[in-house]
Amino acid sequence: MSEKKQQVSRRQFLNYTLTGVGGFMAAGMLVPMLRMAVDPVLQPSASGDYANIGLSVDDITTEPQRVDWKIDQVDGWYESEVSKSAWVYKDDNDDIIALSPICTHLGCVVSWEGSDQHPNEFFCPCHDGRYEKDGTNIPGTPPLEPLHRYTQKVENGMLFLGDAKPREEA
Amino acid sequence: MKWVSQDLKRYTQAKEYVDTIIMPLIPFQIAPDEDANKKAIQNESLSIISNEIEKELSGRVMLLPNYYYIKSAEKDSEITRLNVLSAELSKQPFTHTFFITFDMDWKRYEKDLDSHLLWFPSVQSEDLESKEVVSIIRDQVLQICELIRSYW
Repeated sequence: MSEKKQQVSRRQFLNYTLTGVGGFMAAGMLVPMLRMAVDPVLQPSASGDYANIGLSVDDITTEPQRVDWKIDQVDGWYESEVSKSAWVYKDDNDDIIALSPICTHLGCVVSWEGSDQHPNEFFCPCHDGRYEKDGTNIPGTPPLEPLHRYTQKVENGMLFLGDAKPREEA
Repeated sequence: MKWVSQDLKRYTQAKEYVDTIIMPLIPFQIAPDEDANKKAIQNESLSIISNEIEKELSGRVMLLPNYYYIKSAEKDSEITRLNVLSAELSKQPFTHTFFITFDMDWKRYEKDLDSHLLWFPSVQSEDLESKEVVSIIRDQVLQICELIRSYW
């Protein structure tokens, strides 16, 4: 054993050891609890983000215009830049409406006045789905719900769009 | 729709609405180096184009995985394989099948294929991110979508 005189008595040594082990066990129980309490604050709110779509509020007219922008999207395996688009216009009350061009039937892209026989309507080329200017689906056509609307906000005169939500939730 | 499990679930619910197949035919070449580079660029751009077409016409079109073949090999065996595929697809309610490709060799064998062949020229640029190329590709995608719609 060591030549040096043992400074610490057996009782003290045992005390230190027990305190240490007790401390580890306490930490082992407390840290997960703390982490669970703090975690929600640390989550990056990816779905709550609004993206600047590069359209000034002054440029928005009562005629729907198409805007395209890109956002970063992360899923389980890939991080990718996804292209999104919207039809934006001002309605009669001067409210800004941003509609998602994804057909609510099976997902094709609809276009404003895409069909010459149906002016003033959104038209889906896949199965002849049609929607009114405000996104309501026209009965008798395949879509069963209106076009989704984007959550929006205006900052410094520029339009920001978030995620597209079904009409009742928006 | 793509040939992935998530879309196939929707497909089985809505089979009668999805009646069109699109499959890119892409030549593979590793030598000589310059040609291999060109072919690799074409691979990327055709993949991008076919993905964009799928997004535009998602509810009526099923995009099959890319079909790769060796550029230097004889086309006959490929034609046989593709016709077997066409026969299999026609057992499902697919009324239209389109093969899309940049490879002009296929034009000579077009009549031997049981499905429609869509050939169009490729963008020669290496930079697929630049604004000009993006807009050229976007135009191509819209034109191809119009062409497909004319068959419907």
